[in-house]
Amino acid sequence: MARRERAASERRALLAALTQHSLPLDAPRPVSLPQPAPVLQRVPAPAADSAGRVTAAELWAVVHLPTLILDALPSSRQLPCAVVELQSGVQRVIAVDAAARAQGVMPGCSLAVALALCRSLEVRPRAPRRERHLLLQLAEAALSFTPRVSLDLPDALLLEVRGSLALFGGVEALLAALAARTAALGLTSQLALAPTPRAALALSRLGMSPVPVVMNPERLVGVLAPLPLAVLRWPAERLARLESMGVRTIGEALRLPRAGFAKRFGRDALATLDQLVGRVAELRVPFSAREWFRARCEPAYELSEHTTVLRYLQPLLDDLERYLRRRQQAVTELQLRLRHRAAMAVPASTTVVLRLAATQLDAAALAALLAEHLARVELPAPVIRIELRSGALQPLHAETPSLWRAGEHGGAAGRESTTLIEQLRARLGPDAVYGLCLVPEHRPEKAWAIAEPDLAAPQSLPAVGRHLRRPLWLLRQPEWLQHGLQGLTLLEGPECIETGWWDGGDVTRDYYVARDAAGAQLWIFRERNAPRAWRLQGVFG
Amino acid sequence: MATGSSTLLELLQHPAFWRGRSGARVETRPTGFAALDAGLPGGGWPEAGLTEILTPRHGLGELRLLLPLLAQSSQAVTPRWTSGIAPPFEPYAPALAEQGVAVARQIVVRTETPLWAMEQALRSGACAIVLGWARRAQPRSVRRLQLATERGRCCGFLFRALSSARESSPAMLRLLYEPTERGCRVRLLKSRGGTRDSIELAWGERSAQPDSLSQGDGAA
Repeated sequence: MARRERAASERRALLAALTQHSLPLDAPRPVSLPQPAPVLQRVPAPAADSAGRVTAAELWAVVHLPTLILDALPSSRQLPCAVVELQSGVQRVIAVDAAARAQGVMPGCSLAVALALCRSLEVRPRAPRRERHLLLQLAEAALSFTPRVSLDLPDALLLEVRGSLALFGGVEALLAALAARTAALGLTSQLALAPTPRAALALSRLGMSPVPVVMNPERLVGVLAPLPLAVLRWPAERLARLESMGVRTIGEALRLPRAGFAKRFGRDALATLDQLVGRVAELRVPFSAREWFRARCEPAYELSEHTTVLRYLQPLLDDLERYLRRRQQAVTELQLRLRHRAAMAVPASTTVVLRLAATQLDAAALAALLAEHLARVELPAPVIRIELRSGALQPLHAETPSLWRAGEHGGAAGRESTTLIEQLRARLGPDAVYGLCLVPEHRPEKAWAIAEPDLAAPQSLPAVGRHLRRPLWLLRQPEWLQHGLQGLTLLEGPECIETGWWDGGDVTRDYYVARDAAGAQLWIFRERNAPRAWRLQGVFG
Repeated sequence: MATGSSTLLELLQHPAFWRGRSGARVETRPTGFAALDAGLPGGGWPEAGLTEILTPRHGLGELRLLLPLLAQSSQAVTPRWTSGIAPPFEPYAPALAEQGVAVARQIVVRTETPLWAMEQALRSGACAIVLGWARRAQPRSVRRLQLATERGRCCGFLFRALSSARESSPAMLRLLYEPTERGCRVRLLKSRGGTRDSIELAWGERSAQPDSLSQGDGAA
């Protein structure tokens, strides 16, 4: 407890120092901060023009969302509230609102402790999908500030804004606009601006006011040095080891010998520090807004017939085709959701997912496929709303259709060959349509296999068993001949097949060709081993 | 009067002329059996039309009747599918390959609604040959199949039970298949402009066809 209090008081003092040093938003720049303490490695000099101003370096703005976990909860929550998550078998509080905090509930305590501290606490599970959704929404909004946006999961967004400063009228205006845009989404934000992504992230996590702004890379180390190492979000075990060495701030960590630091804490820890101070550039995954098509239609009356649903669906599909044609793109996945009238024991909606083997944008073809899928679905209740949503958009590969129809004057089957298989599978299920292939095997039942239909597959003859008498039809499983050879005339045989001892499926069989009373020729065998029963395996169709 | 007779012959070639049994002109593909070619209208299986084959039961050798056609289709330059719709057993790929049939061009469809699947396959134009097995078929759905073959330019074969011989059928060709001691007997129940004879085939007998076929005579 004493240690925790000490750490907290240290942090408070540090924050006070920082807020003193960092400038208010309307202060003139460049920011003047105390000279950095001597560090082990000097930051390489940034590209500067004759006047000493930094020109080409990056400038990263960070929007940190400290209360994203709470913001992601449904809005109907009551105070005080805590969000819990299962961590190594224990329900732990990971976020609390102000009212709960006032009662003493802190993140990190177990659920039992939290409930003991605050009896009226409302406990909610975490909503990670909604958190991510909010972050993606914010990222899309951020694309209006700069094309270089990057996500830092789970709760931060990075924007490279060097090129946007002039357009938005300076740092203050840009940050104010960014804060306003974030607030419009109902999110609480902490901003920071620094020449490297990691430094901006570290600064943003402290939640300082005014917003910490570091424009000059030369000053970066000086600003970062007094920050506690916890802002780097290193693993707790690494932080504990550093603390036991007496290293609590970033500046102290930077002063450690590089080789020893890498040896004790790993190369990636050293790389993090290098990226933090801008010694090594950090490559970030750019965020690009995902595009998809979404449309809905609310009919004037409730639909209970498949055919009427399809009729209302048609305009949506036409829209989809226009949308895709304008972008020269196509889809391979389409999701149709039919919302039902709310009633007891009825699901809220029926969803039909269409997956295609090849990209498609033609409304008529999609309608035909959706009709097949729908025909297999029973509507539990009348439909009140139709929603159509595309999967990811794929680039459209234009194909020249043949002048002749397939089969006409030797016209090849191009698209038709995949369309047919898609159409059959849409109605009959994916396993109902299959191709054949040969397997070099002596065991008759293993000499063939089911394959994905592919017209372009190379033709090959089996290496084994050529010129042997084999039936055109095979039974899935050899059947017992109930009456033995009664009523059968043996025509040929025996042909002995004895193989497969190496994989446990060994067979020792004598094969015969027999004719039954009706004139059908059968392929039968008798096991060499007991019980030496006769079995039917194939029919010479 | 050589010129006169040649004019007459030209005139008789005209498709609008109907001259009893030899008048109907259909595009055909050779069956691979000389006796059968001679008996069928146009000298072979209809290129785009539905053929019904009635058998007492499955697996009596009726597929051997079509093997030359399947092998011939496998050698077509432009690949198209050969579909088996609801076959009674599994088509055995090694035996097909042995007979010169391209295994990669075969697709098998397992379904409870063979007539629907068959119509899709026939109509799509993606199949060269469609073989379907259906226990019951209304004349109306057989007519749909017949129209689909014309649209998809496809050889359709529908295997049905003997009992349906009494019903009328809109198929282009109807055969009744019976196995015999050394081969089979094919009775033509319906053929546009063909005979109504029965044709005896012995499995050894083939017309001059690719070597790969005669090799496999002893087999299957």
